[in-house]
Amino acid sequence: MKAWLAAGRKMREGSGGSFCRRTRREFLWQAGAGFTGVALAGMLDDPFFARQAWAADGETDWKNPLAARQPHFPAPAKSVIFLYMYGGPSQIDTFDYKPTMYGMDNKTIQVKTFGRGGHRNEGRIVEPRWKFQQYGECGKWVSDLFPHLGRCVDDIAFIHSMTADSPIHGSAMLQMNTGKILSGSPSLGSWINYGLGSENENLPGFVVMLDRRGGPISGPKNWSCGYMPATFQGTVVRSEGTPILDLQRPSATSDAVQRRLLDTLREYNEVHAATRDGNSELAARIASYELAYRMQSTAPAALDLNEETEETNRLYGMDDPQTRYFGRQLLMARRLVERGVRFVQVYSGGAHNDDNWDAHGDLIKNHSHHAGATDKPIAGLIQDLKRRGLLQQTLIVWGGEFGRQPTAEYETGTGRDHNAYGFTMWMAGGGVRGGISYGKTDELGAQAVENRLHVKRLHATVLNQLGIDPNRLSYFYGGLDQKLVGVEGAEPIREVIA
Amino acid sequence: MSDLRTVAGIWVCCLAAIVGCAGPGLAQESPSDDLPAQMTVDEAVRFFDTQIKPILAERCLRCHGEDPGELSGGLNLGSAATILAGGDSGPAVDLQKPDASLLLDVINYGTYEMPPDGKLPAEKIELLTRWVRLGLPWGSEFELAGAAGHESHSPKKPEPEVNDASRQWWSFQPVRRPQLPEIRNTDWPRNEIDYFILARLEQAGLQPAPPTQRAVLIRRATYDLLGLPPTPTEVEQFVADPRPDAYERLIDRLLESPHYGEKWGRHWLDLVRYAESNSFERDGTKPFVWRYRDYVIQSLNDDKPYDQFVTEQLAGDELDHVTAETLIATGYYRLGAWDDEPADPLQARYDDLDDILATTAQTMLGLTVNCARCHNHKIDPIPQADYYRLLGFFDNIRRYGVRAEETVFDASIKTLGTAASPEERETYLQELGALREKIEALEQRVKADFIPVEHQEFAYPLNRVPLVAARVGRVITADELASYRTWTQQLQQLASHPPEGETKILCVKESGSQAPETHVLVRGNPHVLGPRVEPGILSVLPAADVEITPPESGESSGARRAFAGWLFDPSNPLPARVMANRIWQYHFGRGIVRTSSDFGFQGSPPSHPELLDWLASEFREGGWRLKALHKTIMLSASYQMSSQFDSAAYAVDPANDLWWRFDMRRLSAEELRDSLLAVSGELNLDAMFGPSIFTELAPEVLAGQSRPGDGWGTSSESDRNRRSIYIHVKRSLKDPALANFDSAETDFTCPVRFVTTQPTQALGLMNGAFANQQAERLAARARRTVGDDSVEQLGWVLREVVQRPPSAEEIERGRQFVLQLQQAEGLTAEEAMRYFCLLALNTNEFMYLD
Repeated sequence: MKAWLAAGRKMREGSGGSFCRRTRREFLWQAGAGFTGVALAGMLDDPFFARQAWAADGETDWKNPLAARQPHFPAPAKSVIFLYMYGGPSQIDTFDYKPTMYGMDNKTIQVKTFGRGGHRNEGRIVEPRWKFQQYGECGKWVSDLFPHLGRCVDDIAFIHSMTADSPIHGSAMLQMNTGKILSGSPSLGSWINYGLGSENENLPGFVVMLDRRGGPISGPKNWSCGYMPATFQGTVVRSEGTPILDLQRPSATSDAVQRRLLDTLREYNEVHAATRDGNSELAARIASYELAYRMQSTAPAALDLNEETEETNRLYGMDDPQTRYFGRQLLMARRLVERGVRFVQVYSGGAHNDDNWDAHGDLIKNHSHHAGATDKPIAGLIQDLKRRGLLQQTLIVWGGEFGRQPTAEYETGTGRDHNAYGFTMWMAGGGVRGGISYGKTDELGAQAVENRLHVKRLHATVLNQLGIDPNRLSYFYGGLDQKLVGVEGAEPIREVIA
Repeated sequence: MSDLRTVAGIWVCCLAAIVGCAGPGLAQESPSDDLPAQMTVDEAVRFFDTQIKPILAERCLRCHGEDPGELSGGLNLGSAATILAGGDSGPAVDLQKPDASLLLDVINYGTYEMPPDGKLPAEKIELLTRWVRLGLPWGSEFELAGAAGHESHSPKKPEPEVNDASRQWWSFQPVRRPQLPEIRNTDWPRNEIDYFILARLEQAGLQPAPPTQRAVLIRRATYDLLGLPPTPTEVEQFVADPRPDAYERLIDRLLESPHYGEKWGRHWLDLVRYAESNSFERDGTKPFVWRYRDYVIQSLNDDKPYDQFVTEQLAGDELDHVTAETLIATGYYRLGAWDDEPADPLQARYDDLDDILATTAQTMLGLTVNCARCHNHKIDPIPQADYYRLLGFFDNIRRYGVRAEETVFDASIKTLGTAASPEERETYLQELGALREKIEALEQRVKADFIPVEHQEFAYPLNRVPLVAARVGRVITADELASYRTWTQQLQQLASHPPEGETKILCVKESGSQAPETHVLVRGNPHVLGPRVEPGILSVLPAADVEITPPESGESSGARRAFAGWLFDPSNPLPARVMANRIWQYHFGRGIVRTSSDFGFQGSPPSHPELLDWLASEFREGGWRLKALHKTIMLSASYQMSSQFDSAAYAVDPANDLWWRFDMRRLSAEELRDSLLAVSGELNLDAMFGPSIFTELAPEVLAGQSRPGDGWGTSSESDRNRRSIYIHVKRSLKDPALANFDSAETDFTCPVRFVTTQPTQALGLMNGAFANQQAERLAARARRTVGDDSVEQLGWVLREVVQRPPSAEEIERGRQFVLQLQQAEGLTAEEAMRYFCLLALNTNEFMYLD
């Protein structure tokens, strides 16, 4: 048994004798976020789900609870770390090598583009601003923006033919995170937690870490649980200050005082419940206080980097001011997935304009900055997971809500407008094939032409690697079996799966 | 031509028609052509087998042929016959006009982009083009999977149709006031409702729970109607009231309270997905939207008949007597999310209309009409054409805005009243102009320094100050920036406060009296028009005359008034049933139909159909008055039952479907927050209505925004202590004090709230600033009221929190706790009492109602 799990057990037994065992079955949080494959059979008579179903559409029974909830097949990945390059990195300046473009700078050509500047039929080429080199056994061409990641290419599956439905941040971000360009649907992390739960009930199952300059546009909409119960929404974990809202006791309150408060509260609540049989919610609420109490110590411990060695810190670039912040977040992400958190999303870039990858103005300045802050930490994360034997069970996803155009947005300068006709994302670990590239854009990288893939294919692949059939994971809402991949469904990208 | 005789079927006749005339053109367009324009049968078969079949097999048939049960778009490309028959978008090939064939359009990435995973290479497009022009010659022996035996295009699952059987569905039947059922225990009922409840209990061999205690009853009723706790004094007076009609008097008093509308208005706001911002990138604030919230509260307090209430919201601008109030009501159409920068503006327009139609149909008709947007409803007898017929009533509505904020004012804001004198108005405009001039002069200087991208950014108000600020020290001085900030704030303030008498209203607007033609959109795609439809009602419901007369104003088509007229036409049974069921649901925790926004085939059937009809007819015949129905329901013995457990009844009916007891319930998010304030003595009940207020949000919460704090203001303490219904509802930023306790989702209609139990709730109530602040105030209030004696304080606090006299054991338990904190933890008596107050506010008894 892992040490943290043993510690959790011990605390639980120590804190209430028969009390905890009695209510454990009824423990709602557990049902929402704490069951494992073995415990799935018990889920059906769990009052939580009965209650949620009831509340969601007023029906007592799920339409098809078994099909919707069991991991459908054994799968390599247990967790996902989604490295969200907010703003939209340019594919031809990063991983989609277009050798014929060099020397074409400033040439005006016929090319269909669609960005925030609208539809255009011609544009002035901005040739890739970085050189590319071949790396690894697979010989992948990678731009000089990523000297460290270049060394990891044999673990990475590059997908060059991504497409999205919108080239506008607001709707495109919603689509990358929730599958839909409209507001109001649950995000990928919510779906995964709804389907699988978290392996560690003392931590949230869906964690979001933001850039220090701010959240992405639309903020919490990007980690919302939409029409699902609040249990499945993402929790923002800050890497500095109080990590989670209200997690820390008020400074004047000692642990001992709080423990006494909780013990006495429980006495009041148990007397209250004693005359109110047949209301499992009361017991559940009593139990939720014990969990909250435990979370206060578990979560900070999970995020405490003092246990890490100097060498590990350096691996993540924490010795360099440029990479320290993102490196710290990725190291925390590793510690979280190690502890059973299902889905961790880390944003590179925040706020607006050049504070993220949205390079409308000076492409060189923008991408040098953001790639510079993330290249080493990401490479460090891959190496660290690999040496710990965790890469196979951790799926890493890299990318933004769209890519960028091969042409200039304005008459002068290197800025590129948004491009949802074709862009690059990559995956590593979690049962994905390393050292391959799938799909192609045209010779300018303007649009995907071969094996075009919609965002929902990416989502289908993520679910598939976790053992969830994307076309069976559904949630009944608004008269429909809603799915992350939409009513028409989507297949995983089999070509990138090992 | 004689060579063609061996070719069977469709190709023969078509080829005969085409080959002769298509030849020259074909040759012209395909200079590299190495195949003759005319072919023998053998040549044509070979052409198909070697050139066409591989393309179909590799790129098309996976979705359009392999599985005839799951054909994308209903199109089967597995045979010439099914290609000609076509799918949902019509025939794939038109042999009369081959070049206009949909198939050729889509492989050239026209209307659709097929195949979706990548455009076919040019030479393959050319081959398919030639094949279509040749009239779809088919291989002699080649039979594609799934093609055999299908005469028409798509063998679909049988779909629910509008026919005599579906018209018999229970919820579509006229509402009839039922006879009271026979019961044995005739002493129990207090009114008609109880006959229906008791009859079912007796059938199941169950007894209703005994009447609950008065202290419980007043707490239940007060929360139910006002969303607030009774004061301990109110409880004591009620418990001691000897008059036989004490309970009825209580209900009358509660129904007269202005705080009734603040509680029941929130139910309505859940249904209409009320929010005060637009979502998406900018999540801009909806101007004056709070007037709609106030309208709802006031209408409920006035006991406005439900039919009038809904009609004003749907068509308040088209009534014979249009008033500011009825115009404000049409703000109903402006509550949804709005993408101000959609990738496809036409699609966005129909998404907005769908949002309105879905909300309207689910809320007022209890039907998921929105499921018929792209195809016939899969479960209910609602053909796709019905969706567009209903859409026809709303099709002339202008979109909320086009892009920037100014366009919202044009499309969705009306200005009423001109009570201000011309001089006042002139002064106002001058002030406005002067301010604008100063601002623009400074902006001109700053703009000269912009790189191109910044001009784009500047279009959005929220970018302006940062862009200006970036020039301090170069283009402008720090003082100028400070002035700029002040001026922009002044301008905002001035613009939203026009001279006395002038009221700006967020409301619906149409594009004149002539509505556009409404078409079925093929597969919901606004770029593919299907047949034209006229505005009309659902075909499965009883026919009714729907006459559209444009109002005199000439500003709109009158279609919405016609829709509202049909909604409350006596022939339409749904609105009365649906609303009566909701009222029951809000009193009892769940509806007689549990799926309270789905009365269709997949909704749950009513547990007590006759009771539902009795309530619906009572509601309708009583003039659609909510308050009368509240009173009837609350005076029933069924409502006054205890929530006491009974193991025998539990064994028979564990879910309490038959209502053998009253269900306990947790406080809603708003009730919890309002109660914390009420108990601490800080609740500001006097301030009602007006622009929304801002609570204090922790940095952890604001950190999620792209500009932390953006769109979230500050309010004075007394404003922050107002009821939760007045807190600003920002779609991308929710106050966790409400969101953690399952407040309504704002992007879709919310008929039933979740009741979750999560550790984040406990963390918020133990550690959160708001809970600790209220605990501190409660402690101070205890000290002020009863003095320094800690036992007195304990008793007083418990009584305030749970509104009943505490037992000696309860006080003793508290005494031990504060003693421990003082003796073992070294706290002062004051500090210890503060923790006791926090504890009391965390108890289940505070949080749950019996």
